[in-house]
Amino acid sequence: MIDDTSLVGESSGAFIVEVRGLTKRYAGVTAADNVNLAISRGEVFGIIGPNGAGKSTLVGLIGGAVKPSSGTIIYAGEDITALPAAERARRGIGRTYQIPRPFLDMTVAENLAVALYSASPLISARVAGDEVKAMLMRTGLAGEGHLMARNLPLLRRKRLEVARALMLKPRLLLLDEVGAGLVDAEVTELIELIHSLDDGETSIVIVEHVIRIVRECCRRLAVLHTGAKFAEGSTAEILADKDVASIYLGTGHGSDRTLPHKPRASSTQRPMVSEPPSKTLLQLAGVTAGYGQARVLTGVDFDVRPGEAVAILGTNGAGKTTLANTISGMVRATSGSIHFDGRDVTELPSHVRVRHGIAHCMEGRRIFPTLTVEENLLIAARSIDSGTRQQRLDEIYRLFPALHSRRGNSGTSLSGGEQQMLAIGRSLMSGPKLVIFDEISLGLAPIMMDRLYEALFQLRRRGLTMLIIEQDVDRALDLADRACVLERGRLALFGSATEIRSDRNLRRLYFGEAG
Amino acid sequence: MTQERVSLQRGLHGIEQLGGLLIAALFAIGALVPNLLSDYALLIGFRLMLYIVLAEAWNLLAGYCGLVSLGSASFVGIGAYVLVGLLNQTGVPVPVAVLIAGLAGAALSAAVSPAVFRLRGLYFTVGTLALGEALRLLMINVPWFGGATGLFLRADWPSSAELYRYVLALLILTELVISVGAHSRLSTLMRAVRDDEDAAAQVGVRAFRVKLGTFMVASLLMSAAGALQAYKLTAVEPYGMFGLQWSVDVLAMVIIGGIGLRYGPVIGAVFVVLLGELLADYPELHVAITGVILIVLIRFAPKGLAGVAERTVNLFGRRVAGAHSV
Repeated sequence: MIDDTSLVGESSGAFIVEVRGLTKRYAGVTAADNVNLAISRGEVFGIIGPNGAGKSTLVGLIGGAVKPSSGTIIYAGEDITALPAAERARRGIGRTYQIPRPFLDMTVAENLAVALYSASPLISARVAGDEVKAMLMRTGLAGEGHLMARNLPLLRRKRLEVARALMLKPRLLLLDEVGAGLVDAEVTELIELIHSLDDGETSIVIVEHVIRIVRECCRRLAVLHTGAKFAEGSTAEILADKDVASIYLGTGHGSDRTLPHKPRASSTQRPMVSEPPSKTLLQLAGVTAGYGQARVLTGVDFDVRPGEAVAILGTNGAGKTTLANTISGMVRATSGSIHFDGRDVTELPSHVRVRHGIAHCMEGRRIFPTLTVEENLLIAARSIDSGTRQQRLDEIYRLFPALHSRRGNSGTSLSGGEQQMLAIGRSLMSGPKLVIFDEISLGLAPIMMDRLYEALFQLRRRGLTMLIIEQDVDRALDLADRACVLERGRLALFGSATEIRSDRNLRRLYFGEAG
Repeated sequence: MTQERVSLQRGLHGIEQLGGLLIAALFAIGALVPNLLSDYALLIGFRLMLYIVLAEAWNLLAGYCGLVSLGSASFVGIGAYVLVGLLNQTGVPVPVAVLIAGLAGAALSAAVSPAVFRLRGLYFTVGTLALGEALRLLMINVPWFGGATGLFLRADWPSSAELYRYVLALLILTELVISVGAHSRLSTLMRAVRDDEDAAAQVGVRAFRVKLGTFMVASLLMSAAGALQAYKLTAVEPYGMFGLQWSVDVLAMVIIGGIGLRYGPVIGAVFVVLLGELLADYPELHVAITGVILIVLIRFAPKGLAGVAERTVNLFGRRVAGAHSV
């Protein structure tokens, strides 16, 4: 067992960065909630936590891209809370972006030279050239120095992101999900690169969902959850912790919780699961899709029967949201076909698919901020006669009484949970046959998640067909009849919720544990 | 073989660096050989060089630093008014007056930068547009500078040859400045800010300073050009000197020539000025043709005429290289 308490007693001079009471509030969301962290010189420190836990916000706060609402940041003994990002970079704080942001219309070599020229404008051209060349070699970009960054595929851009931050010769390096989307061999390379930086002087903060990187690189970990520090300790301790597993993997939920409408027993009375599909509402055949050069989904076959709830599970970057977007028409399938309600909808744009009955409750809520709650709801039902419209409005207010009492308020004055209720309500206004719920519990307090899931159980009992994308595996499996697991854009598992729940692969896929 | 290619590349690079000065040298022949150019040719030369200066300055701002400005008129106008005021009120020589006019433009840009740099992208563009319009309205409504009628130059009126020499000097200065800007480390920093200001800050670039420096240099050149235009016209009034036309013409030239490319502005300015001369008798046609060219270029060649030329040369070069290696 690693003893993490040995670090506690050291003097503050040993810390490269110390974060005290750091808080960041956005409208309706607290992205960082009174976070205290101290990272020692030369330490490799990991930060994990579910999506929306505030990990990237914390990187932004330390790097200077995000201004804190309150709290202080001490770097190498100096209070840098008020310093702009450029000054922090000049003091040796390097960061990467989760979604790479290279200088697109410059060559890869020029991208790297920026940090050099900025720090020392009079550096000799030969020295600068050599340094750039050495970094290109070190990060496996040697053949790409002359290419425009725009022409690099996503994973190369991620390497460039790391290389560019390293050009600062940082004393504190913040790596924000640089491992996402890498195949095993690339993860190994990345781990080797991080080990090569681990010289006892450079401190590295790794924000990662790829647990293998965290396990092999970090001595200590902190877990963030809904903006606050949930746990901190040695890597082995944290990864074995039951509470951490419960917020990150979601296994802790459900066992001792009693939901009034939870049809636990009903999972046995779902005969349709093992029967051959008599009738399908939604049918995907060999669907491949992506964004630009990044192919996210590969040959997905998938079907949903009427009245069924299907959960889509998988790690970050596995393609869950892309699958949802492909079904709703926000993203076009590059090959394969999508049939809905007996109709080929592969080529139809999203607003036409809505008319055929596919509604999409999107990740990130997407509330219209200048409209009131009621206007936000009505906008989804413009072409419907007023009688039906009022009826649906009443139904939604019955489902979420909180919305009724706030129907005249503007969309953004709502709390995070109420905003999510509004987003769910809005997706129901078009009278859909199928609703896709994408990460509806993101950033919500557990009690609010309970309330939202109660509503989903009610909807399911009324016979609404639904697709649920959820980080909280247990919640999703409680609700679902069937579930699929996506792994790197492919359908890895598809079966009944009970089968998936007991599948050891699931735990492996999420937490990187050996079987 | 590789050695050869490297030296060839270096040669091409050298030409690219010196090209701007070669263009200035070409114009210099007109000034050095007496009576080579007619009065008409001298005035066309003046117009050409003036617009090249404006287009180069605008390209430095928009093409290299990402500051797409519709405020060129503000700086042309300030330069013009300062020159006329100086020559009327004091006895300073013309070159000194042009220099001071340029500095006044730089000072104006520094003064407005805290406000306009808070705006990004399109908002910056609209902000600079508002600046030009505000200055025009100020000049019309404030009685000190002659109001809507403007000011007349009381000094001696310049000859065409004199105007030609002054603008030639300004062109040489501009080409020197741009050559340094476009081929140095500064250019790397400017383009980093253009591509992603936040990411540039994260690698230590002080984006505000880079933008301010670029804005001041470009404004200095634009105001100096405005001063020379006023000296040529011998009168300034707010509608003409602060007119939106300046901002739009310069933008159109750079887009036609090729934004962000070293020779885009020169090619664009020459093209637009010559087109204007050829169609001088059909002003409606001129505007319509410029519009059509803009639409076609933006749709099919977003890097403008210089972009098309570069692609052709690259294609040709590859074919030559291919023939060599066989």
